[in-house]
Amino acid sequence: MIFDYNVVLDSLPLYFSGVLVTLKLLAISLAFGLLLAVPLALMRISKQAAVNFPAWLYTYVIRGTPMMVQLFLIYYGLAQFEAVRASFLWPYLSSATVCACLAFALNTSAYTAEILAGSLKATPHGEIEAAKAMGMSRFTFYRRILLPSALRRALPQYSNEVIMMLHTTSLASMVTLVDITGAARTVNSQYYMPFEAFVTAGLFYLGLTFILVRLFRLAEHRWLAYLAPRKH
Amino acid sequence: MYKLEVQDLHKRYGSNEVLKGVSLAAKAGDVISIIGSSGSGKSTFLRCINLLEQPHSGKILLNGEELKLKPGKDGALKAVDAKQLQRMRSRLSMVFQHFNLWSHMSALDNVMEAPVHVLGVSKAEARDKAEHYLAKVGVAHRKDAYPGHMSGGEQQRVAIARALAMEPEVMLFDEPTSALDPELVGEVLKVMQDLAQEGRTMVVVTHEMGFAREVSNQLVFLHKGLVEETGCPKEVLANPQSERLKQFLSGSLK
Repeated sequence: MIFDYNVVLDSLPLYFSGVLVTLKLLAISLAFGLLLAVPLALMRISKQAAVNFPAWLYTYVIRGTPMMVQLFLIYYGLAQFEAVRASFLWPYLSSATVCACLAFALNTSAYTAEILAGSLKATPHGEIEAAKAMGMSRFTFYRRILLPSALRRALPQYSNEVIMMLHTTSLASMVTLVDITGAARTVNSQYYMPFEAFVTAGLFYLGLTFILVRLFRLAEHRWLAYLAPRKH
Repeated sequence: MYKLEVQDLHKRYGSNEVLKGVSLAAKAGDVISIIGSSGSGKSTFLRCINLLEQPHSGKILLNGEELKLKPGKDGALKAVDAKQLQRMRSRLSMVFQHFNLWSHMSALDNVMEAPVHVLGVSKAEARDKAEHYLAKVGVAHRKDAYPGHMSGGEQQRVAIARALAMEPEVMLFDEPTSALDPELVGEVLKVMQDLAQEGRTMVVVTHEMGFAREVSNQLVFLHKGLVEETGCPKEVLANPQSERLKQFLSGSLK
């Protein structure tokens, strides 16, 4: 078998613009996903059913259905309703980028909320008591003790979620976006060389994953040093 | 006037009454040791003072100000005014058996945290104060270390510095040396002895009879949720009146 380098080299600009699209989708959906995940996680650890249940239902529905179904529902499904097409949101909801970001952000928020909730529940009881005994208000306690401690301990699991999200963004190519996978599909349809097209895409994902893993290792070194073995 | 007054405290878990009317009064500079066997209610009593446990009846007064309490759904008392409870807690620092330092913060940050974020002290002032108290308890060289990287004795001394940095009216110690190796107990007791000599008001739940006898000026022996015997530590320990205390001391005095 001969690997046709020329096809790959000629298409590199397309792949690089695909990398930018992938990174944009990833960054936007992670940012909004995390913002949404923090209140959801706090709701998930509440002892009051009226607070806990909506968050439980949300994460159950999102985690219980495939990402692609959610994406198609938002991109194709919503357009079916006249009310949606008539609303002021239509200019946004008719954009594939917005729909993909929305679907990915909702999806990652559910998974991240469960990761965070687990981490919040694992906060050592003594540290909570110490905060109370010092006279901390509830708000200060959440802001200064509970969330910083839980967010740090969630880092290793969250890094996994981020890498999963990177790969999930490849679904954007199903709704007309030309991300890395979209670039590969374009190259494939132009030259009919699926092997070259998708191996190249795979290599780009590998490279991005490598960078993300390194970034998270730096972050863990910075914020989880207190859990590492003593060095001096 | 008393710094800390606790009147007729009752506490039960379900139908099991663990405190059956315990009172305590501490004047400025008093060091009160509370002793008793496990299950006597001594830790529960201490934890009721700052409402980490909820008593079922009784009064708690700090500097003559009564903590306003009302019964909750389960019959246990809770604070009427969260702000008042927070303010009173910040005047009653507690040192725990298992240190309970915030593990994601360095020793220095642990000590600065509550002065800055509860009392509203400026960061620069809190840092100076934190360094001062860390030096005082002899762990200044470990100020950048995380709790997990310190020995138990160092952690407990940082916890004492954290309590001191609040400049509290009364310090509550809940078995502060019980989780430590015998070798490390001495360094913590030494710090506590220095605090006592400075005239700080302290309530100490302890198993250290030496500390109770030499450092404290009042001894309370709790048994089955009641004060069985109380008085000057040297007299009470040398000449116990109740059968129960005689039995307790025969087991613990070397």
